[in-house]
Amino acid sequence: MLDRRIFREIDVTTVLLMVIISLIGIIFVYSAIYFQASQYVWRQIVFLLVCLIALFIFLLIDYKIMLSFSWQFYIFMNALLMGLLLFGKMVAHTKSWIVIGHFQFQPSELTKLAVILLLARIFSEYREDRMSLRALIISSAIVALPFLLTALQPDLGTALTYLPILLGTYILAGMKKKHIITLLILGILIGFVGWNYGLKEYQKKRIETLMTPDQDARGSGYQLRQSKIAIGSGGLVGKGYRKGTQSQLRFLPARHTDFIVAVIGEELGFLGIILVFGIYFLFLYRLFSTISVSPDRAGVYIVFLSAMLIATQFFINIMMIIGLFPITGIPVPLLSYGGSSLLANYLICGLVLNVRMRRFVFV
Amino acid sequence: MARIYEDLSRIIRRSKITFYLLAVLMLFILAYYWKIQVFDYEKYWKMAEANRLRELDIPAPRGLILDRQKVILADNSPSFKVSLIRENVRDYQKTIAGLSSLLGLNQEELKNRIERYRILPAFEPIIIKDNLKLSEVAVIEARKEEFPEIRVDVEPKRFYPFGLTAAHLLGYLQEVSLEELKANQNRTWHGGEMVGKAGLERQYNDLLTGQDGKLVEMVDSLGRSKGEVKKIEPSKGNDLILSIDFDLQKKAEELLQGKEGAIVVLDPRTGECLALASSPAYDPNRFITRFSSDEWLSIISDPGKPLENRVIRGLYSPGSIFKIVMALTALSTGVITENSTFFCSGSLEIYGKQFFCWFKPGHGNLNLPEAIKNSCNIYFYQLGRRINIDTIANYARILGLGQKTGIDLPGEKEGTVPSSSWKKRVMGEAWYPGETISVAIGQGPLLVTPLQIATLTACVANRGRKIVPTLIKKESHEENGDRVDIPTEVFEKVIEGMWRSVNDGGTGHEAYQPGFDICGKTGSTQVISRETAEKLAQKGGEIKKPHSWFSGFAPRYHPQIVVTVLVEYGGMGGQAAAPLAGEIFKLYREKYVRQTNLPGN
Repeated sequence: MLDRRIFREIDVTTVLLMVIISLIGIIFVYSAIYFQASQYVWRQIVFLLVCLIALFIFLLIDYKIMLSFSWQFYIFMNALLMGLLLFGKMVAHTKSWIVIGHFQFQPSELTKLAVILLLARIFSEYREDRMSLRALIISSAIVALPFLLTALQPDLGTALTYLPILLGTYILAGMKKKHIITLLILGILIGFVGWNYGLKEYQKKRIETLMTPDQDARGSGYQLRQSKIAIGSGGLVGKGYRKGTQSQLRFLPARHTDFIVAVIGEELGFLGIILVFGIYFLFLYRLFSTISVSPDRAGVYIVFLSAMLIATQFFINIMMIIGLFPITGIPVPLLSYGGSSLLANYLICGLVLNVRMRRFVFV
Repeated sequence: MARIYEDLSRIIRRSKITFYLLAVLMLFILAYYWKIQVFDYEKYWKMAEANRLRELDIPAPRGLILDRQKVILADNSPSFKVSLIRENVRDYQKTIAGLSSLLGLNQEELKNRIERYRILPAFEPIIIKDNLKLSEVAVIEARKEEFPEIRVDVEPKRFYPFGLTAAHLLGYLQEVSLEELKANQNRTWHGGEMVGKAGLERQYNDLLTGQDGKLVEMVDSLGRSKGEVKKIEPSKGNDLILSIDFDLQKKAEELLQGKEGAIVVLDPRTGECLALASSPAYDPNRFITRFSSDEWLSIISDPGKPLENRVIRGLYSPGSIFKIVMALTALSTGVITENSTFFCSGSLEIYGKQFFCWFKPGHGNLNLPEAIKNSCNIYFYQLGRRINIDTIANYARILGLGQKTGIDLPGEKEGTVPSSSWKKRVMGEAWYPGETISVAIGQGPLLVTPLQIATLTACVANRGRKIVPTLIKKESHEENGDRVDIPTEVFEKVIEGMWRSVNDGGTGHEAYQPGFDICGKTGSTQVISRETAEKLAQKGGEIKKPHSWFSGFAPRYHPQIVVTVLVEYGGMGGQAAAPLAGEIFKLYREKYVRQTNLPGN
């Protein structure tokens, strides 16, 4: 298993794209925050090195072995989330963090990995053209459990990122027409009930803000407004690195995390946006293209669900900062500051790499 | 190969379709970025600039007001003020509670003040306290981090070095009212701006107001300054050099100390006012704050009406001063000649009613100059019997009564010159000839201001050339002004009487100054203005002494100075007003007339 030949099969292009995106992220995290807390940059550099090491260790384990432990992994992660909910401390208004000394970790990020692996395992033996009701319910339940546990922390933003995995499963396994219709009706119903009873005031506000961003310039519309001003005022070529007034004068909120793309848009302009989005899209293409070289059904599922997870977060983020999607607190994978999310995303990409490098069965 | 055993083509196709859809989404999103960054660039750029830059006004100092010898009557001194910027307030409750305890303000008042200025843009600072002591400034500066919504600025504050001196003349400043703010939308007002509300400060407000400077600063999201971007220095308002002579003004006010009344000193050649005193006075320095409601109330409710400028707003019967008008009218219309005489026995019966001279034994046979000298009532009753009221009114108007003199002060009153049509209009009754008899000695419904009497006197001194009084120093001594349609000789005859009144043992002899050829006329008035009559009634109908008038000029030929004095309840003309006028003439002569000209002194 520890065959050195395996490493020759690691897809250098994907790894290179990952590192480039992470470095772009670090460069702009610096621009966004150096005048306030410069240790963020050093920490992110350390995180990146840790993640690279973790990635290589992770690649040593054959994804087929991971699949065989996927139930245990899934149960363990959910138990962790449950424990966190019961015994966790509040950090920044949620119980989503495990705090060990100076170290903080968000288990909800790693749970995604468990969900992907479990779904891939279940559907690796599923050869029907369309999902049966039973398959639909099982797959939905597998996603729903961690979704609820995370949403209760409460961290709706992270919880929502589980949904692309479920969506990916539906797409890949195929759905019957009557199921689609039933789900749509159910979705509308849940949406209606959730809006009236489930959502917190600030969450409703965020959705309302999307419709009328200028109504409450100091309140919830403020973030979107400042983000749009930052991006729009960047123009075609931008104001120059570390010269963005919106970010340097702190009008832009969460500059190093959720709104890192707004900093890029302001300082590098539309051309910079095209460049960064281009690199990112190339990276997404590289992930998706692994599907066609997957050796088995489980591999296709792993790659597709992982790629969907990364792509959806990216798209939601770049849409929300210009007002095409409600502000949900979803960072850009690899680009935004944050250790847990960086590690989780490196490992998710690691799953894709894992499948790609083991495309030849007898290697 | 695994592929051989499994057909993955369906799920691979599905994932490809998904990816293509994502590619389309990517293009759509990029198009939207293009719209924001390239198409709407201007709009967002402006919004970013508005975020980044803050414009602050640097208040310009008002122009100074100086007397004719450059004594500063209205100055500026630096003063600290605290303002609140609404857009930086996060929690009004906390702000109001915190600031009121920090600055010792009433919570309700502070709240109302903020509420009042809601019509201004949120970035416009609202002044919440001014005239801060240094210790207060230190307290605020020390806790500035806690209250990012407040700022302390230095502003040039109006300061009147001589306090009460020339207070009515200078006027005072007060905060611009909300009505003014609303009425003048096109002018760039600032909340809390101080504007002239009375006197010269009001009349020449636009001239005195400077051009505010501007400071453009870069600020961060918390409103903290990150450095200066642009600065335009304020330019001071224009200085006002008055025709007022500080020494004469001060003297006039000293003379009125403890009395209620007015003194007007002007140059009949140019109309320049050398002194305008009104008593009682007030200290305008006490109004130069935005927060003076108590003091303000105590001054406006003072029965002595210290705010009222009696020179232009006090209405009085002219009394015997009006005999000048009667004499001019009678001579001009040919009712009498220089040599016409009437006999004064001390009383006279006209229209079945007994009229008395003030001098009970009677003056005997009098010609016009003697009648003026002695201020004989009988002589003028005789004129009143012979001249129609409308003719009198016409001449009084020609000489400037019953209309504003046109002085450059706000709020001047017109007075009243009665005529038959006036009575019809006001009372709806016909004029009785008996009333003309009262008017002939300046009683009845006649009402004049001290300034009108001064301009009338100037017109006489100029032998018929009228002047418009002004408070601004003129560059030249050029004489201009319309002539009234009365021959010069007529004026000479009246002036002869006025000269005798002062220099030949007449009623005005107390104004006499050796070596200065003063001509004048006294007056006293029993029938006081309606306004004052009401006041008298309030005081329990106590019988007061009559108001005392003196108006004169000097020297007789080529006159340089007109002095008009009114002392309320001063007694008969000679008693109170004439000596005061004499003091003014004396000071003027000492200061302005070359001593070598004194004959045989």
